[in-house]
Amino acid sequence: MDFFNRAIDAVLKMFFAMFSWAPPVLGLTVISAAAGVGMLWVVGRTSNQNRIKQVKRSVAAALLELRIFADEPAATGRALRSLFGSNLRYMGLALKPALWLAVPMALLLIHLESFYGRAPLTPGREALVTVRMAPGWNPESAPPRLETPAQVRITAPPVRAVDSREVSWRLLPVSEVSDVLVFTVNGTEVRKTIEAGRRQRFVPGRGVRSAVATLWEPGDGRVPSSAVEWIEIGYADASLPVFGLEISWLLWFFVVSIVVALLLKKRLGVVI
Amino acid sequence: MLAALIALSGVGCSRLSTQAAGKRMIVLGVDGMDPVFVQNHWTELPNLNRLRTEGDFRPLATTVPPQSPVAWSSVSTGMDPGGHGIFDFVHRDPATRGPISSMAEASEPGRTLTIGPYVIPLSGGNVHSRRAGKTFWQILSENHLPSTVIRMPANFPPADCEAESLSGMGTPDLGGSFGTFAFYTDDPAETRTEVSGGRIVRTSLSGGRAALTIQGPANPLRKDHAITSVDLIAHVDPKEPAVRFDLPDRQFILRQGEWSEWLRLQFPFISGLKSASGILRIYLQQVHPYLRVYASPVNIDPEEPALPISTPGVYSRNLAHTLGPYYTQGIAEETSAYRAGLLSKDEFLTQSRKVLADSLRMFRYELDRFQDGLLFYYFSSVDQNAHMLWGRYDSDLLEIYRAVDQAIGEAVQKAGRDTTLLILSDHGFARFDRAVHLNTFLMHEGFLTLDDPSNVGNEELFAHVDWNRTQAYAVGLNAIYLNLQGREAGGIVQQDEREEIAHQIAARLKEFKDPVSGLPVVGQVYFPEKEFRGRNLKYAPDLLVGFHRGFRASWQTALGAVPKLQIEDNTQAWIGDHCMASSEVPGVLFSNRKFRVAWPRLEDVPVTILREFGVAPPREMIGEPVY
Repeated sequence: MDFFNRAIDAVLKMFFAMFSWAPPVLGLTVISAAAGVGMLWVVGRTSNQNRIKQVKRSVAAALLELRIFADEPAATGRALRSLFGSNLRYMGLALKPALWLAVPMALLLIHLESFYGRAPLTPGREALVTVRMAPGWNPESAPPRLETPAQVRITAPPVRAVDSREVSWRLLPVSEVSDVLVFTVNGTEVRKTIEAGRRQRFVPGRGVRSAVATLWEPGDGRVPSSAVEWIEIGYADASLPVFGLEISWLLWFFVVSIVVALLLKKRLGVVI
Repeated sequence: MLAALIALSGVGCSRLSTQAAGKRMIVLGVDGMDPVFVQNHWTELPNLNRLRTEGDFRPLATTVPPQSPVAWSSVSTGMDPGGHGIFDFVHRDPATRGPISSMAEASEPGRTLTIGPYVIPLSGGNVHSRRAGKTFWQILSENHLPSTVIRMPANFPPADCEAESLSGMGTPDLGGSFGTFAFYTDDPAETRTEVSGGRIVRTSLSGGRAALTIQGPANPLRKDHAITSVDLIAHVDPKEPAVRFDLPDRQFILRQGEWSEWLRLQFPFISGLKSASGILRIYLQQVHPYLRVYASPVNIDPEEPALPISTPGVYSRNLAHTLGPYYTQGIAEETSAYRAGLLSKDEFLTQSRKVLADSLRMFRYELDRFQDGLLFYYFSSVDQNAHMLWGRYDSDLLEIYRAVDQAIGEAVQKAGRDTTLLILSDHGFARFDRAVHLNTFLMHEGFLTLDDPSNVGNEELFAHVDWNRTQAYAVGLNAIYLNLQGREAGGIVQQDEREEIAHQIAARLKEFKDPVSGLPVVGQVYFPEKEFRGRNLKYAPDLLVGFHRGFRASWQTALGAVPKLQIEDNTQAWIGDHCMASSEVPGVLFSNRKFRVAWPRLEDVPVTILREFGVAPPREMIGEPVY
């Protein structure tokens, strides 16, 4: 799973590097547009295009019927029933491509979250890093040892939250940093990437022990110590500046991919 | 004829515009700056000293009584209390004789729709200022002259106009009080649950975890008006003196002795649909052996104000976007927790410096962007610190004076030669050594009677007063009211007896001597109808007591208690005050220009401002220009 995650991230990092000179919205727009084309292609290949055409025609017919026979209750009722049935059929036909798209889209979005969803820490502003220990942890024992890069200071002693088996440190990045925190837990070294600075970049989320959990928490790879469940740095959510507005990257992704799909559907001969 | 009139009116307008065009004036209000303290420290206050020598300096006559809401209302409106209607920090409701805020009043929505436990307002409730009269910046605004007025006291909600303004003293916290802090502890030695200005909450640690419930406003959308709240979870390290705090959307660690940054909380009215936003700060006083956590009053969030705190409404938001969150509570210095012994003097000073730093940040921003018209900026720190430091901790107080002096220096530099600069305080300061229980005095003199003489004590709201045998009572810090028939519910003093009883009380007050020192307690007794004029004279107390320096009405008096003794030592941390005779505590007036008047007074300030901009002050303004 680590290899799979690293492969996806490597591709995305290459892509991100190509657009490092530009504002983040540009790279995201290209990815979103490509995703829109990809979605269109998958829909074209996996859906029954003829049936979709028929259903859309019957929807159009029912709508026309509603307009023409607005003053005839029997005809209106018939048209509404037809409209409802056609919509159900349309949704049924959309199910297959949706299932084909679900897994790759989910993976893409999970990985894109590391690039666009989390803001690096702000130099000069404190943040927490928290380690959740595995069941059986003795809170009276010494907390894990933490070593930080020179640009990151530890500004408070580690706090052990006994009831939630967590140990938290308060960190102060004093300048731009892209490095790792090294925890020593029962003699095993555990690394966690730390990112601070103004530039938007790859910011991995929670590092986890469970192989399955790495599917939705990719980034730093599996935590190698059985004494640790996960490690997380308190990054703030990033916002995407677009035309002077700060919006969620996810919103921009869906807007662009849907607009691109709608614009190109005729050219690619796909009915959606 | 019509053409001639139009032409003439055009000439008038253009003349006003010409006079006012490019005119600039900076007015700094420094609450509680004392003329004697300043005169004793000229060398440490170089900017004030320079103003004195290059411009001018005078003591400034204050209002009767010399209380901030009263005095600043006179500055705002140019009227005395009879005009603007603010006579004290607290007034009394004649129906109940209980104290009420003199500055603002909230009203419930008129029509509502009830759905289950919820009440949906169909017409707006509102909050309005009790201060009457038009403010000088409203008049400037009507004349299309730009002004920015920051934190003017007794200006909540802010007077409606086009000027930029941010409300000051009198602005409540999100719960609607003047500021209620919370103190959380599991220390068994702390048995109190309520202190003046705050509540003490017992917590219990389980597995190193304690839930600290931060109270927000009463839910206006519920029939029962249940208090909203947000849980702040404290994770206490078993050994280290540090705690991790968890909120729904963030976590932070504090070491013992540290203050948090501003925290933003959403208090839900209807989950996911409607909430009120507030900001607060946390102070971790102690971790082991007992947890002691102070939470500041929840301030109205300037980014999403639940109540109107600025004009235009977006102004508080713009300031917050530029400067970050800031104190919006009218009186932000935490004197209450210090008085209650929950914060030490050093802890109070640390908090107070944070308030001043916050204020200076905003001042510098506004001074920097000031281009044209009027800039008024108010500093609360000298006053609030003087209350806690006066006469005993001069070096600490001087530090605050110096910080304000530095800000004044920046204003002098910005003003240059072409901008008029005026610096004023609303009153000075004196020691508060002896607390006078005015209601007990009235009882001893036969004007107030208890249901049973043994019921003397600190119980507030006249709990044991027999109103059928009581002629007068005291509420607030200088006011005495007669139990007047037709005004007070069940009042017994007839209109024709009023003057005689008032004079009797005044005579006894003047004879009143401190049984310990033999010193006279009261210097002056004021009769509002002689001192004031204006349409709001009918709301005035019947007498205002002007104490000699060293004496002040007790806290118990302010809230209607009748303790055993008439006077006792002030043993509280609140050691300085100004609620005395007005002549005892004048304020200060500095300018970078010479004054033409020898004895300026507060009411002269708005008239001066309007005249500087070529605007004729309205008839109600009773002052004279100082230049």
